Amino acid sequence: MSDAGSQRLSRSWSREVAAAVLRRSGARIGLVWVTLLVVVATFAPFIANTHPLYMVVEGRASSPALANLQALDWVWLAGFVLGVLALLLKGKVWLRLAGWLAGVGIAAAVAYSSVSPPLLTVYEQYREMERDGRIETIVRAPIPYSAKDYLRDYGDTGMEPPVAGNERHHWFGTEENGADVASRMIHAARIALGIGFIATGIALLIGTLIGGLMGYFSGVIDIIGMRLVEIFEAIPTLFLLLTFVAFFGRSIYMMMVIIGITSWSGYARYVRAEFLKLREQDFVQAAVACGLPLPSILFRHMLPNGMAPLLVAASFGVASAILAEATLSFLGLGLVDDPSWGQLLNQAVQSSSFNWWLAVFPGGAIFCTVFAYNLIGEALRDAVDPHTQRRMDS
Amino acid sequence: MKLLEVDGLITELAGGEGWLRAVDNVSFSVAPGETFCLVGESGSGKSVTSLSIMGLLPPGRFRHPGGAIRLYDGEQSVDLLKADSAALTALRGERMAMIFQEPMTSLNPVLTIGDQLDEVLRIHQPGMDINERAERVLMALHEVQIPRPTERVNDFPHRLSGGQRQRVMIAMALICEPALLIADEPTTALDVTVQAEILKLIRELQASRGMGVLFITHDFGVVAQIADRVGVMRRGELVEQGAASAVLRQPQHVYTRSLIAALPEHLERGGRSAAEPELAASEAEAVPLLSIRDLTVHFPIHRGVMRRVVDHVRAVDGVSLDVRPGEVVALVGESGCGKSTLGRALLRLQDVTAGTVTLEGRDITALSRRALQPLRRRMQVVFQDPGSSLNPRLPILGTLLEPMRVHGIGADDSERRQRAEQLLERVEMPADSLWRYPHEFSGGQRQRLAIARALVLEPRFILCDEITSALDVSVQAGILRLLRRLVDDDRLGMLFITHNMGVVEFLSDRMAVMRQGRIVEEGLTKQVLEAPAEEYTRTLLAAVPRMDGALLSS
Amino acid sequence: MLNYLLRRTLLMIPTLFGITLVVFAVMAASPGGLTVSTLVDGMNLDPEGRQALEDYYNRRYGLDQPAPVQYLRWLNNISPIGFERQADGTLGGFSLWKGVDLGTSFRYGRPVTALIAERLPITLLLNLLSIPLVYGAAIAIGVQAARSHGGRFDVASNLVLLALWSVPTMLAGVLFIGFFASEQYWRWFPTGGVGRREALDQTWLPWFAGFSDVLLLMAAVALVLGVLVWAAVRAPDAVRCPVFLLLGALLGYGMAADLQGLVPGILHVVLAVIGATLLAGIARLPGTALRLALVVPLAIGVGTGLARWAGAEFIQGGYLLDRVWHLVLPVIALSYGGLAFLAKLTRTSLLENLAADYARTARAKGVDEETVLWRHVFRNSLLPLITVSATLLPSLLAGSVIVESIFSINGMGKLAVEAVQMRDRELVLSITLVSGLLTLAGYLLADIAYAMADPRVSYE
Repeated sequence: MSDAGSQRLSRSWSREVAAAVLRRSGARIGLVWVTLLVVVATFAPFIANTHPLYMVVEGRASSPALANLQALDWVWLAGFVLGVLALLLKGKVWLRLAGWLAGVGIAAAVAYSSVSPPLLTVYEQYREMERDGRIETIVRAPIPYSAKDYLRDYGDTGMEPPVAGNERHHWFGTEENGADVASRMIHAARIALGIGFIATGIALLIGTLIGGLMGYFSGVIDIIGMRLVEIFEAIPTLFLLLTFVAFFGRSIYMMMVIIGITSWSGYARYVRAEFLKLREQDFVQAAVACGLPLPSILFRHMLPNGMAPLLVAASFGVASAILAEATLSFLGLGLVDDPSWGQLLNQAVQSSSFNWWLAVFPGGAIFCTVFAYNLIGEALRDAVDPHTQRRMDS
Repeated sequence: MKLLEVDGLITELAGGEGWLRAVDNVSFSVAPGETFCLVGESGSGKSVTSLSIMGLLPPGRFRHPGGAIRLYDGEQSVDLLKADSAALTALRGERMAMIFQEPMTSLNPVLTIGDQLDEVLRIHQPGMDINERAERVLMALHEVQIPRPTERVNDFPHRLSGGQRQRVMIAMALICEPALLIADEPTTALDVTVQAEILKLIRELQASRGMGVLFITHDFGVVAQIADRVGVMRRGELVEQGAASAVLRQPQHVYTRSLIAALPEHLERGGRSAAEPELAASEAEAVPLLSIRDLTVHFPIHRGVMRRVVDHVRAVDGVSLDVRPGEVVALVGESGCGKSTLGRALLRLQDVTAGTVTLEGRDITALSRRALQPLRRRMQVVFQDPGSSLNPRLPILGTLLEPMRVHGIGADDSERRQRAEQLLERVEMPADSLWRYPHEFSGGQRQRLAIARALVLEPRFILCDEITSALDVSVQAGILRLLRRLVDDDRLGMLFITHNMGVVEFLSDRMAVMRQGRIVEEGLTKQVLEAPAEEYTRTLLAAVPRMDGALLSS
Repeated sequence: MLNYLLRRTLLMIPTLFGITLVVFAVMAASPGGLTVSTLVDGMNLDPEGRQALEDYYNRRYGLDQPAPVQYLRWLNNISPIGFERQADGTLGGFSLWKGVDLGTSFRYGRPVTALIAERLPITLLLNLLSIPLVYGAAIAIGVQAARSHGGRFDVASNLVLLALWSVPTMLAGVLFIGFFASEQYWRWFPTGGVGRREALDQTWLPWFAGFSDVLLLMAAVALVLGVLVWAAVRAPDAVRCPVFLLLGALLGYGMAADLQGLVPGILHVVLAVIGATLLAGIARLPGTALRLALVVPLAIGVGTGLARWAGAEFIQGGYLLDRVWHLVLPVIALSYGGLAFLAKLTRTSLLENLAADYARTARAKGVDEETVLWRHVFRNSLLPLITVSATLLPSLLAGSVIVESIFSINGMGKLAVEAVQMRDRELVLSITLVSGLLTLAGYLLADIAYAMADPRVSYE
């Protein structure tokens, strides 16, 4: 009997997969970009804000940026801190995930009930105060424009290329209403990430549920489920999205739900295929023979082993959810006032001239994000592929 | 006269961390008309040796730091390791040919078998025109005894059975009359009767052509039947070689001796089972632990636009069988006879069409899931494939603890852990296995853990479905001894499904022979093996290659 | 097999039913639903006028009835078997042969059938042009990558293909239009549409000013073609790379000169470097076929440019060329995503099959590596490609939506967007029906193709 096992440290499957993924350089680049995106999205109010971070006016010190933080900003910050904690702590993966979700939920409840920033924001006041010379010290955010600051105090705003040479510095130029492109892009990162994860989460939930039921029970449930899957597959997704959005309105939560509802069919197919295979596996049969209860068989024995293709598909799914939102925004059916990368891209060809900075920068952001998720997805696929695993010696 | 000479061959394969030495300084030779058997367990390097000779190792992932392989043509020889790829390609199929283990995947599924045979001729005999080739193809199919070759020649491989596909492979290999045939475990994946026919075929063809045959196997019975000379490999080294009769009767090397001693037919039956006949008589009155009466399992076949049921596959067709406490009943049969379906049906893992299954006096055939659940403690199962017998995501502790929790064994988790540790001791596994994951264990170890999982609920009856078929002989011996000990100590009833007669002889008290869903013969093992009553049983037993039975051929 | 076809075709009906039901439910469940108010809101009408308009719409389209009734009405209209509809909107008698009536579009006021008949061919043209391009290029790249498994081409192409796949169609379309089809940068391609108005009156083929022009054109193209093909195919590495490097740098410089004049500036250097890298990359591609495939169109383009610069004149471009010129950018924008995905799939499938048992048997028979690839492995590797082709058509249709919007092509995709924005019930449902039908037909075709390619699969 070989004793090769006793020398290695015992590692669970999720640790093995994580290690395998991190070994690949493509995944590392992807993860770096996603981390950057998360950091930028979380700290957006401190990176791009017309409200100064710290200001002393007529002897009084204040931090307008902090005072104007919305409830959602606090939730993002809480989520970030909790997420870092969850990554560092030890414990089962799903426990940490559940804990993080619970923590974010609590933070959301607290934030929405207690945080109340001033309702009316006047972006021009700081510039006016500066012109009047009333400000003694001021510490600005690196990009001193908010996403919705249309610079109305300057009369001549419109689409400007980057670093146009006048007194205003816009690293990425401005869009058609005069707002700073870089700032809008940073705030749009939140939309992209939020929609990506939540929509994919919803689709995963629905798909796993339906696919699992189909795979385990077969029979009538399978037939009905397959018809549902076929229907949702055969409807052109974009078209259904368009219909949903056009008829139901354009709120961000609606969009998350809609994108989730239109993309669950792929996950259902994967889960069904995996469950059909797993049902015949010896350890599942042995679990049934031991008389283990059904929920345990489904969630402890079958689901964790069938998750591999789901993970891969989910990574690509996040990329496609972000693309779906960008496409909708691009076609003019996206969010109304919130910034979005697709909406900026749309403005590139709106007027008769081609505004390259509105195509290159937001488009580049979309590209980099989608590319990053695809890289991670590819690395995951290689990591969970049974062919590349060590062959057992017997 | 020499045909093939392997001289100090060293082959290294690219592994996860660096180069692994798979073949270490191996030297042997094969003469024309002679059969050389290379024997060894898995990981011994025998397949890699054969692939090195043919040059079929995956490109870029192997190297030969030393040695030479010379293929002789009369007096001249070619060093295969130093030949360039064009030369090797010309030699393959014409002077040396190879047949492989898995007939199901070794033929191209999208080309007809006639096409694939014709291709060999096209490459190596460009002089033949299309009609000559077609004739030769038909002759080749005829030689390997494929019935109705003119019809079969246009069939696709998936229409043929495993045995027939292997015959086609042999035809493809021999169609250009090579001087050397390398056979890499060609019969391991086949049924025992089919195996006997294929071995006979290879012997006949070898005799008629004077070919040299290098035969790779792990089965000493096969070696006894066909080998002239034998080489025993272990971890890449050739530890012993010589004339077959000498090596098999008087093995010199310690490893060879241990291998032969580990064969199930050579294992000692100890304990109460030695005093078998008297006890068997007194047990005949004991109440059977498990009683099967007229069990039937039929699968419907759907056809037509509306998917109507047109017929049934009769997997199990009226089987009656008893298993008593303290007794092992062996269920033997070839593939497709329904033995696995029977096993799953009596465990209620498979729905029963008709008949009854009685466990400890209670009829469990039609019980609801809820009513059945507490009874599941009494009957457990161990499966064949060590790769999937344990949940890869749970550490062993989780796998063992959960059934105990569900059935209320043990007052709390620490007591259950103690029980698990005791159980591990019984199956001869170290206690720290509890914290490990299945992928850290070898196949034999995993089967032991699977047995522990079966024992954790203290069952009265255990079903073993070919549990040692995927294991090496030496590992198998340990597990068989363990099983016999468990049955004797706890007076368990066991139904052991297998196709290996040696195992049947060692392990079982009674045996039943199954064919096409029915039991054709049943009785005390000793009796059935020595004096089989049915024709089919006789054919089956005759086809098993035995080490001591059949003497060397030719 | 016939049984199977019949079963599949019959099963399409409930699925189509389901699809249209889902879309209808979305429309009906939305705020405002399918009532006439969404049509007349926003028009400044006095109360009587508004009432009259509403009555008219209600009678014509049945918008005052509850949603399920509206759906049944529509079902009745599209089914060839059902109740006939009289001219004034009331139901007539039952008939087995009443024909399919897709209704009238609210927005356009024209029969939907006419609208679809106008727009569908254009979308189909775009997509059908894309499919062979996608498959051909994907197989070529995939085969080459599998052949040089682990080598530089393989690794590089993997990355490039993944990056290509990640570029969103709208970004590519916008960049294409912005850089290659606009006033400000290179005006190589038209800004939109599928053809110029004048082209409809032109001859099919281009018409030259004189015979000498034709000669000049042919000579220029032949010269450039000859040189480049020789360089790509025959010349040794040491000659090929510098030639292509130089050519690339010249072309890049020329592109920059087009914009900013001949005086060298940053743009000139940047573009020259990019051009040189690209063409040097082509030069170093392993695989003669691949190099040739890329070099030939390049040579034709350069030759034509050379001829024009030397003075050859076209009087008319001709209908065919005009069409091609308009379609180049949209087709590229539509196909590059599918190309990237299929190329990776081809590569993976080939690698799996090259390592399969039957390939090993073939090698053991003495078959050489090239024959193993093309005769044994290739056909087996195509099977997953055929399976995937089922989803190719729907994804192309979706891509059409974006591409048609960007390039102002009046196809089905654009029609779909407009229909949804206008809440045009008939149009939305009909487009759903048509695309659903096309998609399901695509699945069926893919299954049949698979059954033909794989002898193991037989449908009974």
